[in-house]
Amino acid sequence: MHSQSPPPVTFGETPFTRSKRRREKIAFAVFAGMVACIVIPLFLIVGYLVKEGAPLISWDFLTTNPVGGMRKGGIWSALLGTFWLVGTSLCISAPIGVLAAVYLNEYAKDNWFNRVINLAVVNLAGVPSIVHALFGLGAFVLFAHMGRSIIAASLTLAIMTMPVIIASTKESLAAVPRQFREACWNVGATRWQTIWHIVLPNSISGILTGVILQVSRTAGETAPIMFTGAVFYRKIEEGNFFAYGLADQCMALSMHLFTVTTQVTNAPHALPFAIATVLLGFVLMVNLTAILLRSWLRGRKKW
Amino acid sequence: MKRILTHTTTILAAALLASCGGKGSGEGKPAGISLQNIGSDTMVNLAQAWAEAYAHAVPGVSVEVSGGGSGIGVAALINGTCDIANSSRKLEKEEEEKATAKYEGKHPTEHQVGWDALAIYVHPSNPLNEISIEQLSEIYKEGGKINKWSELGIAAPGGTDEIVRASRQNNSGTYHYFREAVVGKKNDFKAGSRDMNGSKEVVELVAGTPGSIGFSGIGYRTDKVKVLKVSKKTGEPAVEPGIRSTLDKSYPISRPMFMYTPPAAKPEVESYIKWILSAPGQKLVIENGYIPLEAFAPKDAK
Repeated sequence: MHSQSPPPVTFGETPFTRSKRRREKIAFAVFAGMVACIVIPLFLIVGYLVKEGAPLISWDFLTTNPVGGMRKGGIWSALLGTFWLVGTSLCISAPIGVLAAVYLNEYAKDNWFNRVINLAVVNLAGVPSIVHALFGLGAFVLFAHMGRSIIAASLTLAIMTMPVIIASTKESLAAVPRQFREACWNVGATRWQTIWHIVLPNSISGILTGVILQVSRTAGETAPIMFTGAVFYRKIEEGNFFAYGLADQCMALSMHLFTVTTQVTNAPHALPFAIATVLLGFVLMVNLTAILLRSWLRGRKKW
Repeated sequence: MKRILTHTTTILAAALLASCGGKGSGEGKPAGISLQNIGSDTMVNLAQAWAEAYAHAVPGVSVEVSGGGSGIGVAALINGTCDIANSSRKLEKEEEEKATAKYEGKHPTEHQVGWDALAIYVHPSNPLNEISIEQLSEIYKEGGKINKWSELGIAAPGGTDEIVRASRQNNSGTYHYFREAVVGKKNDFKAGSRDMNGSKEVVELVAGTPGSIGFSGIGYRTDKVKVLKVSKKTGEPAVEPGIRSTLDKSYPISRPMFMYTPPAAKPEVESYIKWILSAPGQKLVIENGYIPLEAFAPKDAK
């Protein structure tokens, strides 16, 4: 419309720059809206859980056993059970998973056999947890005669998390530039020396993050432990961290939440919310540790 | 610098392993003995109450309770993976044979620990007060004639005339009993019922759905549902489920609750069962809304 008078300044506003800026604004609004779609429900969920559950949460709630048909008292035996399951399964899955990933990424030749293994690992990571539960029941509880126990449940959880640990570890190992390794080999180092002095120190932050993030998955799963070691109710000594043994069955937070909501009649309204809040808090704390650890280790990276 | 980095790595990895390794290798098994108690969903709250009270009465013995359904309990008995199996139905012949084969010709021991009245639940807004077994059968069985509340002669509760049927999954003892006592052994359930996974879920579905009907143990009664009186045949007087009416069998759908123990059970199992069959154990049966054995029923109970 105003085409008769050309713009006096070279970098002034033209119809072209105006439409460019408009499109930029639209793009920004769309992307920000997408983020809001994720963040707002998250805050609503967490806020709702905390608001409903807060009246019940106290130190006593965390450190006493459930009483009165699980309607009163705390969640000590379930909380400790979750600690044990997560700890034991991590002890099994972390070393095996990390070492397997080192082998697959650093030693294994690129042949059809190793490609099949890699494919299997990726596929295993996508198997639903209830399938792992059935495998655990068959392999550990019945075949290996472990019975329903913490060790059987932890092994099942470990099998479930191992593929993800392998995948994330491989990823962070692959992120170490190839030149680092070549430089190392060229001064006469063996593969193991290269891995130990160059590759692992440079990828440890990613490896640990991958491992720790699996903690939250382990803590939240119900299906794999339901068949292999978690019970509806069990009373244990309060305040004793070793009140469970590996051959014992245990209660677990996720399972406790499930039974309280589906089985216990006339339970206080706040109880399931309080259990969910504690579970969420546990996962949040673990993830926070992972983030802090990662940023600390990143600061020490050399490139 | 490289050395520092390597060392931190090693220390961190070691710390990670040690922190859980300490837990993993902890031989801190508590002194005393633990009993595996698994089975019926109907009985699991009661079993939990017993376990909790028994831990106070006899501190050395810890009872581990799991639910899942009578079928799960019986399977555990046959596999030899439990000390006590809870079942809200009798062992079937085939199961009895399997268990006997497992224990080299000896039979598992059956202990009746109380009674459960199967209550028929409807939404509190439902004007219906009583129902007969015949009507229930027509509602639940395949080919049954009653599909709408108006066919029972009442106005549709909550505006939906369709009867929403709540039922249970098929390894539940409650499901088996209801099929036997109401639907008829030869008949199938009508398709389209909502098969819930737990006794409490049935009651909750009914509490939240005005047009629904469901069956579940009397112990799961809440004040958000209405319990119907039940008669054997349409026209006969209907009876409310209660301690007296269950024990004298005037309430038509009640069943015994059992605990099964393997033939050569630990002595602790026997003393636990003995305790359950004594006054303190049976008092808990009443407190949890179930019906105790005749000898322990209060004289003035309804």
